[in-house]
Amino acid sequence: MLRWSSRSPRHWHEFVNHEVCVTAGDQQRFEGRVFTVDPVSASVVLVSVQENECPSVRVILGHAVTDVQILRRGTEETERQMKSVFLPDRAQDLSA
Amino acid sequence: SPRFLALCPTSVPSSSSSSSDEEEQRLRAELRERFLRTLLLMTGKRVRFDMHEHVRVHARFGASDIDVLNLQVSDLETPLGVQREALLRCQDVIACSFEV
Amino acid sequence: VSWRSSLPPSERPGERRTAEMKKLYGKDAAKIQGMEAAMQLTFDRNCDKKQPKYWPVIPLNL
Repeated sequence: MLRWSSRSPRHWHEFVNHEVCVTAGDQQRFEGRVFTVDPVSASVVLVSVQENECPSVRVILGHAVTDVQILRRGTEETERQMKSVFLPDRAQDLSA
Repeated sequence: SPRFLALCPTSVPSSSSSSSDEEEQRLRAELRERFLRTLLLMTGKRVRFDMHEHVRVHARFGASDIDVLNLQVSDLETPLGVQREALLRCQDVIACSFEV
Repeated sequence: VSWRSSLPPSERPGERRTAEMKKLYGKDAAKIQGMEAAMQLTFDRNCDKKQPKYWPVIPLNL
């Protein structure tokens, strides 16, 4: 098994927009939707949007990541919602 | 540079770029841009840092170096009091969390 | 630095970096390099001005 940090951009990109569970460090688990995986540090950026709450963002450092499992697949709507967190006015700039 | 060597495995052909190289470059650029935007969004925010050895601290995020080795923070609340200006080693940090 | 410069690549770090960025990011290299430069500048400037010290003094994750 390849370490998470030695994976390719193609592999990391497969996780974008999906809800995942990231296992890190001392068996800590973090859940959220993947906004990106930094190709330099392999760090995973998760976003959680809950009703009546501010969206929260969590960066899990690549060196600490031991496993990433997809829980639920995202949709175009979740992708759009996630982009609006980072680019309120120019979400279209990040379209792939 | 070491950074480049780490990013580009030797299996990648060094000569002409094929369409699959271009696709890989496009994906890498999209992922990297999104990460840099995340760091920009984190700037000035109060961030919780979950660190190794079950250490948890809060601080205001200032900036990161581009290789993501060091995080420059202010008003770091340590168990022994507030350190006005500090650098956290990314190797010590497991996760950084903040609200938008 | 001109591309015609006679210096070997090892003595043109800026140019080598640009070539590396081009190989990693293709046509988006200039955009990414610009964003990275701004980020690094902020980091360097903040460190110069605030002189932050490592916390903790001894790394947790040896």
